[in-house]
Amino acid sequence: MLTLTLPVETALHRVSAAAKLAGIAGLGVILGLTADPVLLAAVFAGLWLAYLPLGPVEAARLPRRLWLLWPFVLVIGGWHLVRGTPEAGLVVILRMLTMFGAATLMLLTTRFDALLAAFSSLLRPLERLGLPVNRIALALAMAVRFIPVLTQRASDLAEAWRARSARKARHRLLVPLAIAALDEADHAAEALRARSALV
Amino acid sequence: MERSLAHIALFAALISVLGFLPRIDMVAGVPITFQSFGVMLAGAVLGARKGALAVLVFIGLLALGLPLLSGGANLWSVLYTPRIGYVLGFPVAAYVTGWLTQRLTALPLTFAAGVAAVGGGMIVLYTIGIPVAAYMNDLTLAETAAGAVAFLPGDMIKAIATGLVTGQLARMRPGVVQSRA
Amino acid sequence: MADPSSGIEIAAASVVLGDRPVLTGLSLRLTERRIGILGRNGSGKTTLLRLIAGLIAPQTGTVRVDGFDPFADRRAALAGIGILFQNPDHQILFPTVEEELAFGLAQQGLSQSEALARANAALASEARAHWAKAPVTSLSQGQRHYLCLMAVLLMAPRTILLDEPLAGLDLPTQARLARRFAALPQRLVTITHDPASVGDCDRVIWLDAGRIAADGPPSRVIPLYTAEMARIGATDADADLAG
Ligand SMILES: Nc1ncnc2c1ncn2[C@@H]1O[C@H](COP(=O)(O)OP(=O)(O)OP(=O)(O)O)[C@@H](O)[C@H]1O
Ligand SMILES: [Mg+2]
Repeated sequence: MLTLTLPVETALHRVSAAAKLAGIAGLGVILGLTADPVLLAAVFAGLWLAYLPLGPVEAARLPRRLWLLWPFVLVIGGWHLVRGTPEAGLVVILRMLTMFGAATLMLLTTRFDALLAAFSSLLRPLERLGLPVNRIALALAMAVRFIPVLTQRASDLAEAWRARSARKARHRLLVPLAIAALDEADHAAEALRARSALV
Repeated sequence: MERSLAHIALFAALISVLGFLPRIDMVAGVPITFQSFGVMLAGAVLGARKGALAVLVFIGLLALGLPLLSGGANLWSVLYTPRIGYVLGFPVAAYVTGWLTQRLTALPLTFAAGVAAVGGGMIVLYTIGIPVAAYMNDLTLAETAAGAVAFLPGDMIKAIATGLVTGQLARMRPGVVQSRA
Repeated sequence: MADPSSGIEIAAASVVLGDRPVLTGLSLRLTERRIGILGRNGSGKTTLLRLIAGLIAPQTGTVRVDGFDPFADRRAALAGIGILFQNPDHQILFPTVEEELAFGLAQQGLSQSEALARANAALASEARAHWAKAPVTSLSQGQRHYLCLMAVLLMAPRTILLDEPLAGLDLPTQARLARRFAALPQRLVTITHDPASVGDCDRVIWLDAGRIAADGPPSRVIPLYTAEMARIGATDADADLAG
């Protein structure tokens, strides 16, 4: 889930991560400047074109990826239909789908460590103002390292629960999962200490 | 130092994972996830500053495009939706939850963390989220607030859970609840 | 100043974890190149290693490694000591293999790009270049153990602490690693349950309930240890395992 990056190399893979991050932010600003559904639909169509170099399979998969957002589309669309403002609803939905598709495209064609390095270099100028950029990058990388660990932990806990109970685990997982996070943090702190000289 | 950094990173991961946990469908048909519970818990357990930093790391991951918001969204895809105010309000919510937990020392921890979660995770979060949602939906504040009532029961449950879980963590791992250290 | 010849000096050190005394009044001077530590589960072996590595400070007493205090002087510790954790999952901090390997080098002062280049070169020399970009979660437990070991070796510390370095590895990997360890020029302190694997050490220390039960050449300590383990194993009730 966190490693979407496609193994095949395309032209988009060769665009620098910093350029893609800047591109996403720029696209975010541009979409906010217009509320014309036709224009937004055109941008959305353009995004789909950008998927084509990834091959027909990936381009065809875009609707499936967007389908993930159906509850939001339903709520926003339904709401605006009820209020009699379908055009405003369409604008919100088109912006949402376009931004989602663009961010996914970035993940598909960029390794996360490259994105993180680009993110750090974009923050670097703020280092003079006292922003601890290296630590921020370290925290982000460690969070990504531990998301699959905790996800696995959650499913192990649910399994252990099912093995001994007919009822669903659900909220009963919260305490053990939080404990797991705290214990992993203790180990990680020690591992960090073993190989670094943070002060 | 290492410990603070590790706690911040691990709570950012925990908030992310809580977004994938199966939803609980509420009576009113409003699905809730435990993600905002994770935000409240970060504040209640790590305290104001580290709790807010953990949430900021989570938002950093969303900004890099990772689909970690419950429902599979990233920061960019919620940018122009009514939800953006709530997401950007998360760090403030964690900060206030931690700040209150640290100050309500007269109350037992479970109770203090629960009250703090209501203050930070509900009152403060709504104060930020509702005006933004009103603007995005082109509605009045009153109309938007009326709509937000649907989230009250779920958020109330999460605030209570924050109190209970924080209390249990303090018992099972003494010294770990830093808002009271 | 760091003086490599002075070795590891522990003077009357005690460690209490939680409210449990784990190491009690321990004094040791380790100058040998190959040191083995034997002991039962919970005897305090890992705690001793964490103490030497400067991950924890003693409640009383002092610890010096090559003349510096490993807890207080982390900069010196980076060049002086490396530790391989018993559980690789507790050691790995990064999502991908090359980031994990590069981290320690960057901490030692290399730039990120130099560190990555060195990490990749090390992987290539172990015929594992294809690991570089792999997510650490895609490696098996034994492979993750190996990755952690590479991360430690890459930093080239003067003393390397190994906590059960061969546990959970398949036999060919064990044999290869054992040869690798034997060839290392550094001082090695190795924890194990298995008396056979410390036969080649210069010195073996048997730790029991946080105290030194025996200390000397393997020819003297190993027979004592095996006899005692056999004696305990023959009895059914085991009072010692009580947490
Ligand atoms: N964080 C802790 N808090 C309290 N007690 C601890 C803690 N860590 C370890 N202990 C206790 O200290 C004792 C020694 O632990 P240690 O991990 O050093 O043992 P070990 O010799 O490495 O055992 P093993 O062979 O099982 O790895 C054990 O009784 C353990 O229960
Ligand atoms: Mg051990």
